[in-house]
Parts: sequence; C-alpha cells; structure tokens
Amino acid sequence: MSLMPFASSRPLSIGVELELQLLNCNDYDLVSSAPDMLRQIARQTHHGEIKPEMTRSMIEINSSVQYQYAALVEELRSLRDTVADAGHFLNIAVAGGGTHPFQHWSEQKIFDAPRFHYLSDLYGYLAKQFTIFGQHVHIGCPGPDEALHLLHMLSRYVPHFIALSASSPFVQGHDTGFASARLNSVFSFPLSGRAPFVLNWEDFERFFNKMTGTGVVESMKDFYWDIRPKPEFGTIEVRVCDTPLTVEVAAAIACYIQAMARYIMVERPGDPQEDDYLVYTFNRFQACRFGLDGTFIDPRTHEQRSLREDIADMLLRIADHAAELQAEEAMEQIRQILATGNGASWLRQTYAHEHNLSDMMQQQAKLWMNG
Amino acid sequence: MTWAAYLPTWPLSVSPALWLALTLVIAVLVGEGLMRYLRLPRIVGYVGIGLLLGPAGLNLIPELPAAEWRLLVDLALGILLFELGSKVNLHWLKANPWIAGTSLLEAAATFSAVFGLLLWFDVAHVTAAVVATITIATSPAIVVRTVTESRAHGQVTERLLLMTALNCIYAIVCHKLAVAFMHDEAGTSPIHTVLQPLYLIGGSALLGWLFGSAFNFVHRHLGRHEETFSFLLFGMIAIATIVASTLMLSPMLVLLAAGLITRYQRQRPRTFLPHFGSAGAVLVILMFTANGMAANLDGLRDSMLLVVLLILVRTIAKLLPVLMLARHSGISTQQALALGVALAPMSGLTLLLTLDTAAAFPAFASGPGLVLMSSIVILELAGPILVQMALRGTGETLEERT
Repeated sequence: MSLMPFASSRPLSIGVELELQLLNCNDYDLVSSAPDMLRQIARQTHHGEIKPEMTRSMIEINSSVQYQYAALVEELRSLRDTVADAGHFLNIAVAGGGTHPFQHWSEQKIFDAPRFHYLSDLYGYLAKQFTIFGQHVHIGCPGPDEALHLLHMLSRYVPHFIALSASSPFVQGHDTGFASARLNSVFSFPLSGRAPFVLNWEDFERFFNKMTGTGVVESMKDFYWDIRPKPEFGTIEVRVCDTPLTVEVAAAIACYIQAMARYIMVERPGDPQEDDYLVYTFNRFQACRFGLDGTFIDPRTHEQRSLREDIADMLLRIADHAAELQAEEAMEQIRQILATGNGASWLRQTYAHEHNLSDMMQQQAKLWMNG
Repeated sequence: MTWAAYLPTWPLSVSPALWLALTLVIAVLVGEGLMRYLRLPRIVGYVGIGLLLGPAGLNLIPELPAAEWRLLVDLALGILLFELGSKVNLHWLKANPWIAGTSLLEAAATFSAVFGLLLWFDVAHVTAAVVATITIATSPAIVVRTVTESRAHGQVTERLLLMTALNCIYAIVCHKLAVAFMHDEAGTSPIHTVLQPLYLIGGSALLGWLFGSAFNFVHRHLGRHEETFSFLLFGMIAIATIVASTLMLSPMLVLLAAGLITRYQRQRPRTFLPHFGSAGAVLVILMFTANGMAANLDGLRDSMLLVVLLILVRTIAKLLPVLMLARHSGISTQQALALGVALAPMSGLTLLLTLDTAAAFPAFASGPGLVLMSSIVILELAGPILVQMALRGTGETLEERT
C-alpha cells in the first residue's frame, strides 16, 4: 500500500482523541464492558465520535474538527456527559488517566474486530499491555512540507506535552516513581520513537515506500511515533500525552499545542536540525520520570532548566498567538497546572489520603464523570 | 496393666464428627476434580457428595443433628448474604429504573406462575401462596459462590447479584406475610397477622442498620489489617445471626440488609477476602455438603410431575420478564438469556424457609414441602452449572489456570 496524498485541512484546526478507561463500580478494576457501553451510547444521538479500542475495557471519544478552546471544551464535555450517562445507566465508571493503577494485563480481553485480533496475534502480550490510555491531538497543516516542518519543530516541546498531561504514576499496584509510566509501554513497540528526520514530503514518501518494501509496515498506522503525519486528515498527530484526568485539561493541552503551532508557523523561529534530536530522548525521559520537575536541556543553547520554567517561558512567548486563537482560558489552565501540579501529583496526593488504589480510582472516576 | 488400657477396643467407637470430616475431604477433592477435568463448578461436588453419602443417598454417614446443621447453615448463609449485600449498588436502581422494573416483574411472575400451577394441582390457596413466595428467591449462596469462583465481572454478573439480593428480600418478607395468613387460617387473632411481619421487617432493618454501621466503624479502624478484620467480622456475623434468632427476627434478612446498608452508606464496597477469609470459605463448603446431606427426595417419588413442572414454570417465569425488558434496561438478548437462566438456582435460603414452614405446619411438611425439597435438590445441583454457563457464555468470567 502506498502513502496517501496529504489532504488539505484548515491550518491550525484541532481535533482531540481521548482513550478512556471503563471500570466496575465494585473494586474499580477495569471491566470489559466496551460493547455494552457502545450499544447503550448508540441509542442516543451525540456529537463527535465514540468508538472501541484495542481491549474491551477501553473506549475512545473523538472531537470533531475544532478551532477554538470554548467550542472544543464544550464538545468534549458533551461527549463526556454522553459516556457518563451510559456509565450511570450500566453501573460502569469512566475515568481519565494514562494507566489503570492495578489492572492485570493478562486479564484484558481483546475487542472483537479484525484489526485488533491481528495486532494481538502480532504483538502478543504487548497488545494486552497496551491497555494504556492516551490523548492524541491533531493539528491541521496547510501542506505536507509544512506538516513535516511543524512536526520536527514541535519535537523540541514533546517533553512539555508529556509533563503537562502526565497522569500515570501507578502501574500493576505500585507507584513507579514516573509521572507518566504509560509511555514506557509505548516505547517497547518496535516502531515507536521519533519520526525520521525528513523535511519534505517526497523524501518522506520515499522513506515510507522503502519501509513498506521491507515488509515491516503496511500503513502509517504501524508507526507508533511520538508525533506522526496523518495524510488522510492533512494533520500531524501528537501522541505523547496521557489522557488527563478531566476534559478541561485535555482541551487546554490541545490548545497549548495549537498556540505553539501558530507561533512556529507564523514567527518561523528557525528551522529544525538533525542535532535537535541529540537531547530528545534525555528530555523525554526526564519529563516521563519527573514530570514538571524534570530537567530540560535546550537543544540549541544546551542550557539546563526545569520543564516548569521552560513551559512558563513558552507561555509568555506564545501569549499573543493564544490571544489570536481565543485560547486565553486554556493558557490559564496550563498556568494552573504549573502552579498546582499535573494529574500524576493529584493521583499521588489522593492515594496518600485514601491509602487504597481502589478508592483512589473511584475519586479519579468521579473527577472525570462530574468534571 | 492390660491391653485394654492403651489399645482401642473393637469395634472402634469413633466420634460422628469423623464422618463429617471425611465427607468434607471427599467433597473438596471431588469438587476440585469436577473443576479440573470437567470444568464444572466445585459446588456441584460439595452438594453431590453430601447427597450421595448422606441419608438420601447411600446412607453411609449419619444424619447431622438438626441444631448443629442449622447453626452451620445460618452462619455460612449469613456470610454469603452479607457479602452479597455489600456487592450490590442500590444507587444503580435510581439510575436505571428498568432494572428495578425487571426485578419486580420477575418476582411477580414467579409468584403467580407457581401459585397458579399449585392451584391447578389442587393445593390449598394459602399453602400454594406460601410455596410460591419461597420460590421467588434465587439462591444467594450459589450465585455468590459461583461468581467468586469464576471471578466474573460485567453486566450479567452485576445484574444477577442485584436481582438476587432483591428477590431474596421479596421472598423472605412475602413468605412471612403468607405464613401469617396461614396462622390466621389456623385460628390466631388478626392483630398478630399484621404485627408479626411489621416486627420482622422493622426489627430486621434496624438490626441490619446497627450491624452495618458497626461494620463500617470497624473497617475504618482495622480494615487495613486483613486477617484481624476477617476474624472480627466473622465474629460479628455470628453475633448478628444469634441475636436475630433470639429476637425471633430473620437472620437472613438482617445480614442481607446489613450488607446493603454498608454499601449504600459509603457508595463503594469495603474490600475484603472472599467469604472473609479461609474460615468463612470452609463454612461455605461445609454448608453445601450439609445441604446435600439434608436433601430429601421423597417428593420426587410421590409427585415427580409437579416437581418437574414447578422447576420449569419457575425458570420460565424468571426468564421471560428479563428477556422482555432487556433492550430497555440496556443489555443484549444474549445477555438477557444468560441472566434469566442464571436466576434459576435454589439452595440454602429456600431450604431454610421451607424447613421453618414445615416445623410450624406438619401438614405442609408432608405435602408441598416435599415437592419444594426435591426441587431444591435439583436446582442446587443444576444451579451452579447454569450460572457458570451463563457467565461463561457472555464472556464475563476469568477462568483460573490450573
């Protein structure tokens, strides 16, 4: 299969996909109830899209193509309410967060669809371990070369997105010490990591054809990159975020990425360089491990600072672009996260208070469902 | 010194407890074998061995003294009913009134169908009503035990637990009302007909609330030490059972109410080991074996047709309303079929209600009581298999690897 041509999309339009966890209301472990939820949801009319995911204890909500924070958050809230209503009706709790704190991967059941069974056969236990919950943000690009430019420019800021959304400190019953342990599961996939350093679409097509020629991949879907182009939508897709604990934070992070994309497209602060990636995995690890307190090394100046400082700095630099996009409220949310902490710190505080991961999970679901 | 001073005399005189212990060992081994080689629920082995070796079967072991049997069943059933109550989320009924509707319809249909059947077989009105109320209940013991054993989760499992808790309440309360009418017919004054059920319901609810609150208090302060907590809880359940019997209340209703109340107050269950630890689990196994030993199949000999029809009619009466309201309540037809079938088991609770009625009315014991007893034996053996099939068929079980 050859690469699709890059579709046209409205520049800086955004779309948000959120993978959600389905929980039983007894011990708040994952429950394989996606078919029940989807059947119940199908009986109502709703905005956006709600669809199954790899294992039967997750569902995904997708916003439509949006441009502004207010409309985006409103749509996500209405999607959340649709899902929460179905959950109340079926006694199933729904929650955000990047991992389930104590689920056992071997107990997950694969959703009955050909692609999911294919992936499950291919990846074995990795597929079930992939019961992790991420936020994907699409950014509309004027053309394919601009998309690749934006992709590599945004790579510098991938640690920002990780630290702001990080909400997966607990895995298999233990505090991992990571702010986002979810990404550790993604990294075990053979085609994860960053996109190759290619700056125009012809070169990218050549790379893609070589890869399909080797038989390693069949489509763009087989690449699990942190940011990847999505030619059929005419977007690039930022895939490093954990699903945050509320839709408001999810929308705010999407708009933070959007404002940053506008800054990059309009101000053109230099061109991406291959050497920018020398610090990439270090910075990304710091963000996963320490969240906002992680160390960030500037790829150009090699200056070290905390991610919190680098984000605060960035907020000042993109303020005008955020204002242009009417995303001030979103930037305020981001500032709030810098001051009070991300989802991972909320979860750790809640656990310290509840002493019990089931009880923490219940609070987490309450936070998601009630907003 | 003689031989007799230190060697046992022949024939050996052994305590009857040995036979019980031996039965327990065999029952557990057979249960394990059924699970491993035939993938059948272990309960079938427990009940089956009790039945096979007990008075109704090969008569190899003596009958258990009634008082001890009763204490055992009261305690084990108490544990299971409390466990059932604490797994059930009553708030769900508010969010999805169709489930409440299904439950009420299912109970009403069961009562009417069984009542009608018995009238057709010329059973007296009041007696037919008493039997019909008893058949409303799904076995909480079989449901809780099978769900625990198969580690099931999902819509069918949760609805099964909820609807079982509800139909047990209907059965216990309606049974007392029906028995009160039976008393009335036997010539007691009408005031007792009204006051007795009132005392039963009010008293049981109050005692259940006290127990539930005490439970929440203990869990808050000692819940983190699982073993201590299990022992304490176990003692508390024994106390509640004995206090309830002393006050002539229904221990079953008290413990079910207590479980429901703990869950309702806190909106989420306290986590504890299945059956509150191994002591509880042993009691539960013993209870199933003892139930098998207490089996009475005389009804099958005298009125086989009625027994078969009773089981059929009751099962269909439970299945149809669930199927009818499936779509509205948010489950698929396949799930409804599974849920309806899984409501069929009868066991300890039904047995106790039958025996209590039989103790008060000798005529009941020799007639409809025998029919019920036989039905219970059949549904106690077939019930766990039906529940397991239902949960497996809907993909809600997590089978353990052996």
